[in-house]
Amino acid sequence: MASVTLEHVKKIYDNKVVAVQDFNLEIKDKEFVVFVGPSGCGKSTTLRMIAGLEDISEGILKIGDRVVNDVEPKDRDIAMVFQNYALYPHITVYENLAFSLRIRKEKQEDVHRKVVQAAEILGIMEYLGRKPKALSGGQRQRVAIGRAIVREPAVFLMDEPLSNLDAKLRNQMRAEIILLRRRLDTTFVYVTHDQTEAMTLGDRIVIMKDGFIRQVGTPHEVFDKPKNLFVAGFIGSPQMNFFDAQLTRQGDSYSLATHGIQMELDAERAALLRENQVDTMKVILGVRPEHAVIRFEDHENAIPCTLNVNEMMGSELHLHVSITDDQTAILRMPTIDLTEEKRRKLTAGSPLYFSFASKVVQLFDPETEDSLLFK
Amino acid sequence: MAKEDRIPEVDIVVDHKAGVIREVHPPHKLRSRKGHERRVNASIYVVLTIISIIWLAPFVFLVLQSFRSYITENGGMVSYLIPKQFSLDNYRFLFQPESQYLRWYTNTLIIALFCAVIQTIMVLSVSYVLSRMRFRGRRFIMNMILVLGMFPGFLTMIALYFLLKQLGLTQQGAIPGLILIYVASSGMGYYISKGFFDTIPKSLDESARIDGATRFYVFKRIIMPLSKPIVIYTILMGFMGPWGDYVFASYVAFGKSESYNVAVGLFRWMNTRDLQGYFTRFCAGGVLVAIPITILFFILQRYYVEGVTGGAVKG
Repeated sequence: MASVTLEHVKKIYDNKVVAVQDFNLEIKDKEFVVFVGPSGCGKSTTLRMIAGLEDISEGILKIGDRVVNDVEPKDRDIAMVFQNYALYPHITVYENLAFSLRIRKEKQEDVHRKVVQAAEILGIMEYLGRKPKALSGGQRQRVAIGRAIVREPAVFLMDEPLSNLDAKLRNQMRAEIILLRRRLDTTFVYVTHDQTEAMTLGDRIVIMKDGFIRQVGTPHEVFDKPKNLFVAGFIGSPQMNFFDAQLTRQGDSYSLATHGIQMELDAERAALLRENQVDTMKVILGVRPEHAVIRFEDHENAIPCTLNVNEMMGSELHLHVSITDDQTAILRMPTIDLTEEKRRKLTAGSPLYFSFASKVVQLFDPETEDSLLFK
Repeated sequence: MAKEDRIPEVDIVVDHKAGVIREVHPPHKLRSRKGHERRVNASIYVVLTIISIIWLAPFVFLVLQSFRSYITENGGMVSYLIPKQFSLDNYRFLFQPESQYLRWYTNTLIIALFCAVIQTIMVLSVSYVLSRMRFRGRRFIMNMILVLGMFPGFLTMIALYFLLKQLGLTQQGAIPGLILIYVASSGMGYYISKGFFDTIPKSLDESARIDGATRFYVFKRIIMPLSKPIVIYTILMGFMGPWGDYVFASYVAFGKSESYNVAVGLFRWMNTRDLQGYFTRFCAGGVLVAIPITILFFILQRYYVEGVTGGAVKG
C-alpha cells in the first residue's frame, strides 16, 4: 500500500515526440485512479512510466516516499495487468501465478498457499492445470489479474485490461474489478479509453488529451463541472450538444440567447460568472442530451428542429436532429411513457421542439475552450 | 441455357468470431473441370519426378560406388554403375588407423559441435538484443551487418590466414582456429531468429520484468521455451556450416593431415594420391559424412520448417 506522486513528469521519445507534458498528480494510498482519454493521449505512456517500462524524461516519480525514477520495475513493488494479458503461454496457469513467487525464491508451501488463495478469489481453481491457450478470454483475464494479486503489490497498474473482452464479459469483469478492489484495498491505477469504465471504477478520473491533463476529479465532478470543452464532450454518452450563443450581462444578472430563444441564467451560474469576471461575450453553450425537454408542439423558449435519425436504444430513444443546416444535436427521450401516437410522429423529417432549463447549461469561452463556470 | 439458369449452390457458414454469416461457394463439380485438374496434376507430378531423379542420381551413384570393393574389383572410375559384387571393403578401410579417416571425422565433429553450441548462443543473444532492446546505433548496426553480409567470406581468406598464423592457429592449431573463424561472425546471422523473436509479444518480457525477472531470466525462461523451432534451426545451421566446409578448412590446415576435416582429407585422396585407386573409398567416406546430417534432419524436420517460416512472418 502506497501513494504515487508524479511531479512535472514529462516523456519525450527519441524522435522528439512529446507523449506526456508536465504531468502532476498525487494518487493517494488506496485510491482508485483512472486515466482516460482518446488513443495517443499519453495515458498508457504515463502508466508505463509508473511501472518503469518507460524512462522518465523529466520530473520526479515517487511511490510512497521513495523516488523511483531509476528503480527497476521489479523493485518498485507494483504489479501490472496488460491489455493482451501477457500470460506465459508455455507454462500452466498454476506456474503463471507462481512465476513471480518462484523468482523471489519463496518457500514451496507459501507459493502454493498464495496461488490457491488467488485462484479462489478469482474462481479459476479448476483451470490451474491448464495452459493459457486452453482458456477463454475472460478466464485469461482472471489469470492475468491473479498473477498480479499473488505478489501483494503496493500499487496495482492496469492497462486497458477489459478492452479485449466482448461487451457482456466486459460488464461482468468490470463489476468483478470493483469487488476485487474492495477486497484488496490497495492503490489502483487504471488506464482505459472507455468512459463508462472510467466513471464506474474510478474514485478520481484523470482525463488526458495530447499529453496534457485536461481535468482531474471525481466522476461526479468531471460530469457536472467539466473544466473545458474537451472534457465536456468526452464524458457523457451521447456527447454534450454545443451551440453558439450570446451571453449578455446586465448588472449582476446574465441572459443567454441562442437559436431564437432567450433565457435568464439562474443565480448559481450568475454568481460563478461574476466571480470569473465574465462580461457580455459570445460563448459556446453546452447542453447534455438528457437535459433537453422534447416537445411535439411549439412552446415558449423551445428551439425548433427537424428529426433526422431515430435510434431505439431500448429504455430511451436517441434523436438526431438538425436545427439549421450546420447545427445538429442529439436528444435523449425516455421510452417509458411514450404513447404509440407520439412514437408514430418520430419519423425522419418530422418537426420537433426542444427546450432546456438554465440550471443545466454549461458555458465555454470559444477562444480558450475553458469553462466559464469552473472555479 | 439450362446451365446458366440453375441456382448456384451456396453453403452458409456462420463465422462466430466475426459475428457474420458468410456464403461459401462449393467448388464446381463439373466433370470436365475435374478432368482438367487431373491432367494438370499429372503433368506436375511428371515434372517433379524428373527433377527428383536428376537431383537424386548423384547420391545413388555415390552410394553404389561406395559398395564396390577396391581390393577385389576396382577402386577407381569404371564404366558401369552397379558393382558386380557388394562389399564393405571401402568402409573397412576407413576404419583402419592408416586411413586417418576417423581422425578427420572426429576433427569435423568437434569443430561442428563447438560451432553449433557457440554459434547458437551468439546468434540467439544478438537476435534477442536487436529485437528487444532500443539503443543508440541499433539501426546502424543492423544495416551495417546487412551490407557486410553481402561480401563473400572468402574475401578475407588471406588476411584471416595470416592473423591465425600469428596466433599459432593454423596447421597444428587448425581446429581451434577453424572454430574461431566459423564462430567469429556468427552474430551476423541474426536475421531469421530476430524475425521470430519479434513475433513474441513484448508485453511478455515486460510482464516478467515486473514479476521480478532479469533480462537474462526472461531470455532463458520465457523466450527460449517459446522459440524451440528457431533454436533448433539455429543449432542445425551452426552444425552444418562447418560440417561441410572445404574452403576455410583446406587452407587453415594446409599440409597437416592430422588437422584435416573430412572434406579436405577426402579431397586430398583424390588430389594427391591415386584417383583410380581411391575413388570408391572417397565415396564411402562421403556416405558416412551424410549419415548424421540426414538423421538430424529427419528428426528435426518439423522444427526446421517451422523455424524458417516462423521467422519469415515478420522480418
